[in-house]
Amino acid sequence: MNFRRLSVNGLLITLLISAKASFSEPQKTWKALIDLSPQELELYDPSLNTPRDASIPYIPAEKYPFSAPYTAEEMGYRYAEFPHINRWANTMNDVFGVVTPSGYINQGAWITYTSLEGEPGFEGYMRHKPGEIYAKWMIWQTFPPDGQGGQQFWTPYRSDKNFRTKLDFYIYSKGLRRIRRMPEPRRDQRFPDNAQTIDDVMGRDPWEFKWEVLGTDVLYETVRFPNTRPNMVLNLDGEGFTAKPTESLKMMGENFEHYRPDGGVDCWVLKATADPEWVPDGYAEKYLVIWLEKNTFYPLRTEKYGLDDRLIMVDERLARFENAARKELGYSAYLSVYWNLDHDLISYSFHDGLKPRVWTKEEKQSIFTAEFMRREWMYEMVKTQALVEKPDQFFLRSKLYPNKFPEHRNVVLSAEIQKRYQAQEAAGKLIFESTGTE
Amino acid sequence: MRGETVSKKNKTKLLVLTSFFFGICLISNEVFSNTFKDNLSKIDRKLATFDPGGKYLKQPFEKKIPKAQISGFLKNWSDFLLEENGVIGSHNQNNRFLQLQNLAEVEVDYNIAQGIDVKAIAHMLYDGVYDWQGGTGLSADSSDRSAELYHDGERVLRELYISYRKSWLDFRIGKQQLAWGKMDGQFIDIVNGMDRREFVQLESDDYEIRRLPTWMANSTFYFGKNTLQLLYVFDFEQDRLPGLHSPWASPLLPASSSDLITRSKRPQANNFSDHEYGIRLDRTSGALSYGFVYMYAWDKNPINKIIGTTFVNGDRVLNFESRHERIHHLGFTADYATTFSGIPLVGSLPTVFRVEALYSNGVRVTDARKQRAARNSGIFSDGISRHDTVRAAVAIELALPQRTTFMFQPSWYQTLNHKEGLGPAFGGGLSDEWSFIPVLYLTRPFAFSKDRMSADLTLYPVISGSDTGWGGIKTKFGINYKFSNFIKGRLTLNRYDGGSDSDFYGQYNNWDNIGWELSYEF
Repeated sequence: MNFRRLSVNGLLITLLISAKASFSEPQKTWKALIDLSPQELELYDPSLNTPRDASIPYIPAEKYPFSAPYTAEEMGYRYAEFPHINRWANTMNDVFGVVTPSGYINQGAWITYTSLEGEPGFEGYMRHKPGEIYAKWMIWQTFPPDGQGGQQFWTPYRSDKNFRTKLDFYIYSKGLRRIRRMPEPRRDQRFPDNAQTIDDVMGRDPWEFKWEVLGTDVLYETVRFPNTRPNMVLNLDGEGFTAKPTESLKMMGENFEHYRPDGGVDCWVLKATADPEWVPDGYAEKYLVIWLEKNTFYPLRTEKYGLDDRLIMVDERLARFENAARKELGYSAYLSVYWNLDHDLISYSFHDGLKPRVWTKEEKQSIFTAEFMRREWMYEMVKTQALVEKPDQFFLRSKLYPNKFPEHRNVVLSAEIQKRYQAQEAAGKLIFESTGTE
Repeated sequence: MRGETVSKKNKTKLLVLTSFFFGICLISNEVFSNTFKDNLSKIDRKLATFDPGGKYLKQPFEKKIPKAQISGFLKNWSDFLLEENGVIGSHNQNNRFLQLQNLAEVEVDYNIAQGIDVKAIAHMLYDGVYDWQGGTGLSADSSDRSAELYHDGERVLRELYISYRKSWLDFRIGKQQLAWGKMDGQFIDIVNGMDRREFVQLESDDYEIRRLPTWMANSTFYFGKNTLQLLYVFDFEQDRLPGLHSPWASPLLPASSSDLITRSKRPQANNFSDHEYGIRLDRTSGALSYGFVYMYAWDKNPINKIIGTTFVNGDRVLNFESRHERIHHLGFTADYATTFSGIPLVGSLPTVFRVEALYSNGVRVTDARKQRAARNSGIFSDGISRHDTVRAAVAIELALPQRTTFMFQPSWYQTLNHKEGLGPAFGGGLSDEWSFIPVLYLTRPFAFSKDRMSADLTLYPVISGSDTGWGGIKTKFGINYKFSNFIKGRLTLNRYDGGSDSDFYGQYNNWDNIGWELSYEF
């Protein structure tokens, strides 16, 4: 054992001893349900058995998007307005990647066109007939090089208890020059080389969960950039590529009017427990804890807990107001970071150059079919320069807040991952592998 | 008593010493392990940004010419025989490497105007098996230079075409390759010829670089849920089979023949009546998609037609014309996806079914009886028979837990009106009336490697009838590893077991090999 290694270990031990302070939040920002103020309680309806819709018996009777006071279930329905991929037609370049503890990064850039078969928004989805295709997503891969020119065609369905297929899924491999229909990915299984599951991408149906409000909280940050990445080049509508200081990217975008004076965002904190009657047998995500921005119900932070009640993944987002026509429902996932705690995998997804899009009937008929992929036609280019260039410029692991809602949140890290987490917090950037010497 | 004490002391000393050394070993091991891990981690971070092609070629090129895109790759793949087996039939296996192939490819796309694009792909292959190893068994490069090196424009210029697109139309004219079909293996994939130098080891993954692009006009019309594709192929490319003294030459090939090929006839681009035509109609209806194909084509492999006999040293020998023959192909393809729920052990089970079939009319087959009659008695005969063939497959693909994919694809090959003495027929049984190949495929990534490593296993057992029976099995086991976004590696083990020396896989029982592939793409 050399002195350099000893000194590094010593530093880590010191960090671990002093970790308690930074591991927990500096001041209490959260309130349990019993501590809510009268003003907050005016917005919350504790009822559990609200009237049901006449035509769809498993959804609330009150007209979506509901009005205050909101039940936990109604908040859950509002949460479902904002899955990872918008419930309205758009074009974007979905830039994504993963970093492993060794510093291996695997990234992709997929030009994505989305179109709807039904009405936009969650209401459109909810009222769509189960078993029918709800949306169509056409994807053109521009990165990495071995996938260049590859395409994917996803057709999400409106599903319910009787029709459980979530999507049809086709790929066009440029190498094989063939369109192949693939089995849909298993819902609770992360994609290879990624922390995200198909449910993380497509969103979750609120009727598959039992909802409860845990309390409120104030979030001061979600996605965190390392100190090695002071700027990020964004493809902004009308401005083209623009270098922006990463510290200027805020949780709810630039012009959000409900930031607190100290920059924080008020949130409801909900617990969503998977209903075994709805989710597939053995569904690996027992419950979620979700931080919803209080005015829009936008999910800024989602935690997933496994069957053993342990925290298994954190999903944090920066949102951006992208669709004025949708008013308060026009927020979109701009930048999302996912941290899989079991494998210490950190994934990100950045929706660069995103624009709402109205497709003509002719475009919908020609572009949004599996056969279109055979044409090898990149219909509309959406460029990006948002790929992470070096491993140490990757996004940081999420904060853990182990003291918040401790009765509902079992936050445990393995010793090795905790060591890396602490080293990251001290360095302001990711520290890789065992000794963290670089 | 004293003796016991000494013994105890010694034991204690031994224990202390052992513990000390064990402790040292553990610490050293820990230090070594951490150092090793650290070094791997450093390599990972270096490789993550290693992209010279992107940095020094792609980025400056695309910056200079914004309407152009450039990409390319370098690949090396090598197969190494587990044993050197000497003379096997007509083949002298006194070499170890079956492949030492290096392939470089560059692709340029240029957007001329809205909907009008040009694509050019050039590539160069060099196979070191003929130069870089000893042994005298491999000399096919002396009769076919392209076995070693792509040396002429036809092979180097891989694709060159201009395309015009409207929402309802695609039109592409130039040198191109077109893959029909969705199955593992070739069922309705009949448009282009193939370089089959690896013969039984040619896999679907290799088709992209082994297919032989040809000059054609390709138009597709889109209306609603239907597409209609029309093909006009005005140049012809035949298959390339492994010739004598090449690494995958069949040991059953005759080393020499007294018969004479006195002339050969090949479809010509400047002869309108030699051109090929194809049509394909596809339709999607909910979870089901299906399509039909028809092609008026040439058999990609020539057949030897007897055009006369002569006497050489008192023996009657056959004079052949090597010629390609016309075939009508009629094919069908369909797939259907669903998710089963409540399945024991796995819960829900996403599943895809695929089916593909090709009926080929007018396939000419060498007829040994007719040849024998011509040789022995001088009876006038062309030495060939005309048969129809059917090849079809059904595949079921399952998405299992742990990101495991399982596929079962029973494949059937049948020569209709089969009789004894027939040679190999396009689409028909493998030297028999029918052949059945139930392909099994299993693949999964490994979480411990953060999914960078994956393994796959494929089994290709062959059963033929009505004469042959068990024809052997090919087993392929592969391990893939992603070094970075740009560099990938693969190790494979290929085994050929069972069957007799004259069976499809049985003849290659001495060709068990391991292989490695390394590729860089930008």
